[in-house]
Amino acid sequence: MLRGKFWRSSVLYSTGLMVKNLSKHKTLITDFCVLLMLIPLCIRLSFCSSQADAELAIQSAESHLLDCYEAIYEAERAGANVSNLLNVLNEAGWLLVKAKLAYNAGVFESAIGYALNCSQRLDGIVSQANSLKLEAEQASRIDFLINYVGSAAGSIAILVVGYVAWSFLKKREAP
Amino acid sequence: MKIAEYWLLYWIIVGVSALLVASPFLSRVLVYPRTEFFTELWILDADHKAESYPFNITCNQNYTVYLGVANHLGYCAYYMVQVKFLNWSQTNLMPTRFGAIEKRLPSSLPSLLNFTIYVADEQVYEVPITFSFNYTWDQPSSKVVLSSLRFNDVLVDMSAHMVFWNATRREFRVFLFFELWLYNRSVNNFQYHGRFVGLWLNMTVS
Repeated sequence: MLRGKFWRSSVLYSTGLMVKNLSKHKTLITDFCVLLMLIPLCIRLSFCSSQADAELAIQSAESHLLDCYEAIYEAERAGANVSNLLNVLNEAGWLLVKAKLAYNAGVFESAIGYALNCSQRLDGIVSQANSLKLEAEQASRIDFLINYVGSAAGSIAILVVGYVAWSFLKKREAP
Repeated sequence: MKIAEYWLLYWIIVGVSALLVASPFLSRVLVYPRTEFFTELWILDADHKAESYPFNITCNQNYTVYLGVANHLGYCAYYMVQVKFLNWSQTNLMPTRFGAIEKRLPSSLPSLLNFTIYVADEQVYEVPITFSFNYTWDQPSSKVVLSSLRFNDVLVDMSAHMVFWNATRREFRVFLFFELWLYNRSVNNFQYHGRFVGLWLNMTVS
C-alpha cells in the first residue's frame, strides 16, 4: 500500500516536473519543430537551384558554342584555315553531350561541371577566329593584287611592249 | 637578215610569255564553278573497311565502328548526329530511304543521344564509336530487356526498350542507326539532311 502510494506520488512529481520543463523549453521545442519542417523545403530548394544552375550552364555553353561556330564560319568564308579551331569545337561539343546526358539523368552537379568545362574549352576561340579572318582578308587582298591585277596587267604590258618593240625594229630596218 | 622574216617566231614568243604571266589570273577565271554541294556519310568496321561489321553481339561486349562525314557543302558545316534505336518490329519507323534526298524524312523515334560534328569545307571527319549494350534475357516471355547503352564514354539509359524474339529469323534483331542533321543558319535550327547509316545487330543470349 505504502509502496503504491509512493509510486503514484513519484509519478505525479515527475509528470509535474516534465510539464514545468516543457513550458520552460517551449520556445526551444517550437524552434526545433519549425526547423524540422523546413529541412525538406531546404533540400527541395537546393535541388531546384542546382537543376536551374545546370540548365543555365548548359544553355550558356550551347550559346557559346554557337557563337564560336558563327565566328569560325565567317573566318572560313574569308579564306582562313579553321581546321584547328573546328577540332576544339568538336571536343567541346562532346563535353556538352555529356552535360546534357548528366542533366537528363538528374546528376546536376556533373552536368554543371561538364557544361563549364565546355565553356572554358571555348574561351578565346571567337577572338582567334576573328584574327584568322582578318589575316585571311589581308592575304586575299594581296592575292587579288598579285594574281588578278598583277598577272592581267603584266600580260597586257608584255603584249604592248612586244608591239612597240616590233614597230621600233621594223622602223629601224626600213631604208 | 630581215626582221620581217621572223615575225611569226617573234609573236609566238611574245604570246607565250603573255600567257605565262597571265596564268595565275586565267587559272582563277577559267575554273568551272562548283555546282554540286553535298555531304557524304558512311560507317566502317573496326579495320576501316566495309567488311566485318558487328552483327552477333553479346552483353557488355565492346564493338568499334567508324562514322565518317565528308563536307562538300562549300562552307564549314555544323552537323548533329542523332543516335536512334529500333527493334525488328518497328521497321516502319525507319527514316525514308527512297526519293529525292531533300524530301526524305527522319525517323519519328526519339533519339538516345545527339552529338555535334563540325567539318570544314572539303574536309573529312571520322568519329570512332565504341559501344556496348547491357541487357538481360527474359526467357519465359522470350524477350531481351535492355538496361543501358555505353556509347564511347557515356552511359545512355535504355530501360524503356525491349526486343521480342523474331521467330522467322530466329534472332533478337535490332537496328542502331545514325541520322545526320544540318544546322541551318537562316532558321537557326537543325534540319534533317536526308542521310542515315546504321547497323543491324542480333542480341545473342546464352
